[in-house]
Amino acid sequence: MADDDAPSDSSLLVIIVDTNPNQRYITEDPKVLTNCLDAVIAFANSHLMQKARNELAVIGCHFHKSEYLYPTPGKPLDVRQIDGQYELFTLVEKTIKMRLVNLIKSQPPEEKPGESLLAGAVAMALCFIAKFRREATPGLRITARILIVTGSSDTAAQYINYMNVFFTAQKQQVLIDVCSLDKHLSLLQQGCDITGGLYLKVPSLEGLLQYLLWVFLPETSERTKLVLPGRGRVDYRAACFCHRELLTIGYVCSVCLSVFCKFSPICTTCHTVFKIGGPLPIKPKKKKMKV
Amino acid sequence: MADDEQDTKEYRWETGYEKTWEAIKEDEDGLVEGLVAEFAQKAARKAVVPRRGPVRLGMMRHVLVAVDCSEAMNSQDLKPSRFLCTLKLLEKFIEEYFDQNPLSQLGLVLMKNKRAEKLTELSGNVRKHLKALQGLTDMALTGEPSLQNTLEFAGRVLKPLPAHASRELLVLFASLTTCDPGDINTTIQALKTEGIRCSVIGLAAEVRICKKLCQDTGGEYGVVLDDVHYRSLLLDSTSPPPRARALDAGLVKMGFPHSAPQTNQTDPGTNADPPITVCMCHLDDGEGVGGEGHLCPQCRSKYCSLPAQCRTCGLTLASAPHLARSYHHLFPVEPYEEVAYEGQAQYCFACLRNFTDIDKQVYRCGRCHEFYCWECESVVSTTLHVCPGCASRPHLYQRLPDSS
Repeated sequence: MADDDAPSDSSLLVIIVDTNPNQRYITEDPKVLTNCLDAVIAFANSHLMQKARNELAVIGCHFHKSEYLYPTPGKPLDVRQIDGQYELFTLVEKTIKMRLVNLIKSQPPEEKPGESLLAGAVAMALCFIAKFRREATPGLRITARILIVTGSSDTAAQYINYMNVFFTAQKQQVLIDVCSLDKHLSLLQQGCDITGGLYLKVPSLEGLLQYLLWVFLPETSERTKLVLPGRGRVDYRAACFCHRELLTIGYVCSVCLSVFCKFSPICTTCHTVFKIGGPLPIKPKKKKMKV
Repeated sequence: MADDEQDTKEYRWETGYEKTWEAIKEDEDGLVEGLVAEFAQKAARKAVVPRRGPVRLGMMRHVLVAVDCSEAMNSQDLKPSRFLCTLKLLEKFIEEYFDQNPLSQLGLVLMKNKRAEKLTELSGNVRKHLKALQGLTDMALTGEPSLQNTLEFAGRVLKPLPAHASRELLVLFASLTTCDPGDINTTIQALKTEGIRCSVIGLAAEVRICKKLCQDTGGEYGVVLDDVHYRSLLLDSTSPPPRARALDAGLVKMGFPHSAPQTNQTDPGTNADPPITVCMCHLDDGEGVGGEGHLCPQCRSKYCSLPAQCRTCGLTLASAPHLARSYHHLFPVEPYEEVAYEGQAQYCFACLRNFTDIDKQVYRCGRCHEFYCWECESVVSTTLHVCPGCASRPHLYQRLPDSS
């Protein structure tokens, strides 16, 4: 972490766009998705504009699967210059829109939209970042971060996937930024806190681009010099395995670290039988203390 | 000696003749590129020997790492020097250690001029250890080390720890001699009776007293060949030792401090910053004065970092992510099956890399049926522990523990 202050030569940004149709802002007005997408594309292009070596990937997260919207596997689209716009920007915009249409069209009509599986998309992004780092020229200083733009809520069902993904990101020094469009996301906020990224719940959707550009565009090295939204307080209580309730004091199996809210003689996760003599060894110690 | 006879492992120079060059074969075009890639894949596979069997984690491990700071560390057979190489590898070791062993503690000891000096206290704070290590680079390396003094010191530090915790000492020893004040054999016996497991990594050559120390206390002894071997020896010792797995199982009462005093927001009078208090862990140093902190849910003592053991009521304090670090052992990702590449897919699902002729094998997930390159396969199985394909499918993403 010591070389955080030095600006990097190349910065890779992976944007994960939640396109799940059951997000509240889409069900209320489906056109808002287009506005949000335009904001994200404009944001992506401004990232590319900052440095010639900056790289970009965009992953669309739909309810039935996640897919890369940019870059395309294989050959890139054939793009000609329009109105003097830099070709790369046109390519980014066209590719994302075309691939997103394909993604939405491929959704199975009989399936009901469930929750957005963002953990899987982050896992894909981490593999992409790992590949980018492997193939990069040696000596190039690379920073990588992931930005999640979502309006869904998070549930405990993906907890394990989320945690694995967060710890991998922390290990690979990848920041995870989260831009929430609707609800407060406590799990993703934990991820931001673990990886050192920023969490922001956007107060109004109209200003989305402005929030993206002001808060999420600066690189890691520049962020220390800016006044950005604070971390806030993160709730780190553990949920017990038996009732999924948040605890302040619980019992932890010393073998597999499962959390329980009550003492039970057998661990339900790893089937270890506990010695009931737990409190006994403490008693003689206390007596000694008194003497 | 009887010990030596029991040790059946033969030395390298006693083994048969290895014809390493015969493994290399050219393909039709006279190229070895494909073969090299295959070797790399095989080596990567070998490195990932999955830990099978029941999950036994080294919770509550307490490891002291003793670093030789004697003249012998100046030697440049490891680049740039033994000492600098050791420091660099130790940083990696410390990160990996806390990754593998949630809720464990580590302390650093310097073997300096016939003395053992404490560099950092036993603690679970990664940053503190790394910072202390980084401050060592310019240290002058003189004199001889003393193994016995180090052992005595480790005994003193590790003795008062609770019995359910595993207690270990890891010595990085470059010198071929040790300058001891008394009989080291009695010290080794004392450590043995205390149940402190001592491991040694030698940087020069095998030393008998180190070997005896490791054999008696149940530790492991290794001598490095080069920096790569050194690294793998160090990282091997991050995984919990078998002895720690044999410890008695028990339910440990644990507190999860949640730092949000939500009452403040409703009460306008105390809406300001929390009152300035001193945290319990820095009470002796006179530091650690501040507002933020984690409060013990039982006695409301304040701690500035987690995990910690409450000094007032003895409750172990941790936060949920500390425990979650180990969940990938509980819910492991299913290994991918290796299939010969016959154009099943154009590109790797996870990283979009196009498959080329060099990819003789690709990997397929048995659940989501996506294809992955071997690099992504190793990332998924070693660090990520989530299959990117399964995790983004609505009917596959939940990996519940098998009901068996």
